[in-house]
Amino acid sequence: MTDPLPPFILFMAGALLVPFVTGKWKSFFLLFIPVLGLLNLLRMQEGVYWIVSFLDYHLVLGRVDRLSLLFGYIFHIISFIAILYALHVKDDIQHVAGLTYAGSALGAIFSGDLFSFFVFWEMLTVSSIFLIWARRTEASLASGFRYLLVHAAGGLCLLAGIVLHVNQTGSLSFDYLGLNGPGSYLIFLGFGLNCAWPILHPWLTDAYPEATITGTIFLSAFTTKVAVYALARAFPGTEALIWIGAVMTAFPIFYAVIENDLRRVLAYSLINQVGFMVCGIGIGTALAINGAVCHAFNDILFKALLFMSMGAVMYRTGKINGTELGGLYRTMPLTCIFCMVGAASISAFPLFSGFVSKSMVMDAAAAGHMRIIWFMLLFASAGVFHHAGIKIPYFAFFSHDSGMRPREAPVHMLLAMGIAAFLSIFIGVYPAPLYSLLPYPVDYVPYTAPHVLGQTQLLFFSALAFTLLLLSGIYPAEMRCINLDADWFYRKGARLFYRLMAKALNPINEACEQLFVNGFVRIIAHLSKDLIARLALIIMVTFWITTGLRGQRLRMKKENLYADVMAGACPIGIGAGAATGFLALVYLLMY
Amino acid sequence: MNLPNEEKMELTHEPVSGYRTAFFIAITIGVFYLGLILLKTL
Repeated sequence: MTDPLPPFILFMAGALLVPFVTGKWKSFFLLFIPVLGLLNLLRMQEGVYWIVSFLDYHLVLGRVDRLSLLFGYIFHIISFIAILYALHVKDDIQHVAGLTYAGSALGAIFSGDLFSFFVFWEMLTVSSIFLIWARRTEASLASGFRYLLVHAAGGLCLLAGIVLHVNQTGSLSFDYLGLNGPGSYLIFLGFGLNCAWPILHPWLTDAYPEATITGTIFLSAFTTKVAVYALARAFPGTEALIWIGAVMTAFPIFYAVIENDLRRVLAYSLINQVGFMVCGIGIGTALAINGAVCHAFNDILFKALLFMSMGAVMYRTGKINGTELGGLYRTMPLTCIFCMVGAASISAFPLFSGFVSKSMVMDAAAAGHMRIIWFMLLFASAGVFHHAGIKIPYFAFFSHDSGMRPREAPVHMLLAMGIAAFLSIFIGVYPAPLYSLLPYPVDYVPYTAPHVLGQTQLLFFSALAFTLLLLSGIYPAEMRCINLDADWFYRKGARLFYRLMAKALNPINEACEQLFVNGFVRIIAHLSKDLIARLALIIMVTFWITTGLRGQRLRMKKENLYADVMAGACPIGIGAGAATGFLALVYLLMY
Repeated sequence: MNLPNEEKMELTHEPVSGYRTAFFIAITIGVFYLGLILLKTL
């Protein structure tokens, strides 16, 4: 039996072969890749594999441990679901980009050194852009470029951090780094950008809703989760992450509530859920780390489910704004049910997956006596139910009747949603198999009476608040508009930066132009026009005067010489003399 | 202005009489309840 292959290889090779597979075999081929990948992964034992020598370093393409395996499993599962969901897509660019993206994510999580991790990290960015551009709209093109700019900056930050870190420690190993030097701070910031930390997050809410229907499913699964993995690997227990994560859970709620584009609501909700993971990593206890990665596993499933249900709505109706949708439960009942399963899971309803993982992070905060953090997480739990748990299904499938009667989603989309929904419920009902995969041993019991009661109470009061806000007319109207959050600073800041630079640099530019272009170059041009003739005159006139030549004769000889040199008919003696003089000058300058 | 897809610009939520009062009563009770819990836990 052959040894297992590096997990990314199968996806990359698959991506290369996709354009050459045609007809009905393409669907089988696409689905076969993650299945084969998962079988390959299941054969792997913990350890270090595929070591490649590079310069004076050893690159580790396969560091397999419980943390990387957990992410490996879910990345294979979600790849299968996303590919199944995208089977109707005829655009090879999307398939190739999706597979490369998944392969890059797998490459990153199994990297045992910072260099190969960086390479896969950059491949994540490059491949994901095509999932945005593949929508081929003006908005997607523009947001793809913004995404590229932001991630290029983040990548440079990470690279600079890696170089400084390697210079400082001499080690390329990708293990616990901690915040202990400028290099580690830059790496921390690079991870944070992909994690969509507050202020650094606008790329996510800008780009994800502009991606293709199927591309968003891939996007929701990989970039932020690889960053969560990287933080869990390199910065567990870093206190700053507790507060960053807590803010991440809370602030998107306000923007999600007023947002009209339902996929953008889910993008805000993605930041909110990643906040729970970041907070858990910051707390750093075994329970918190388990909770963070367990929630990452669940979030990939239920977030994809929600994006898939909204994608199905968009696929059938061509619309995604809350102002345009409503009443679709009549003709899309299965999509509606799957959406509500996703909504219940993200809201952490008992018997749904979010309940068994989110509570681990909250309990870890409570165990650490982090009262304010716990309260922020509690507020965020209520908020997420409000915007993702109620708003998404309510405005898409119920609310006012939009009059649209679209057909139910295609079978392969329903199947993909069905698998994600099944797993979300299965994990919620029976979390033991998932708990057994977590990095640390688990003795956590999610289904205790106070926990179930407390969470149910929170959710029902949140539902009551939504109902009362809606019926009292206080709930903000859904409006067709562009909501700016932290990107306001980028837009205003970029304009201010542009003006400052224009004011500061343009005068320098003008002075340089005046001095060099209009001054120096003009003088050179003027001189070079008859420089040789003038030099010849200086030398020869001096010679003629010393030989006693004067008056009319001297003037005539000067005029003849000038005319000859300008015409290129210079006497050989003068040419030889000039050459000798030039060589003498060079000799003097050199010594 | 005619929008190309004739999309609604705004989806307002018309108030149902009596619910605004109910909302404020619920908010008041909620704030007192939370305040009480906070005082007891500090």
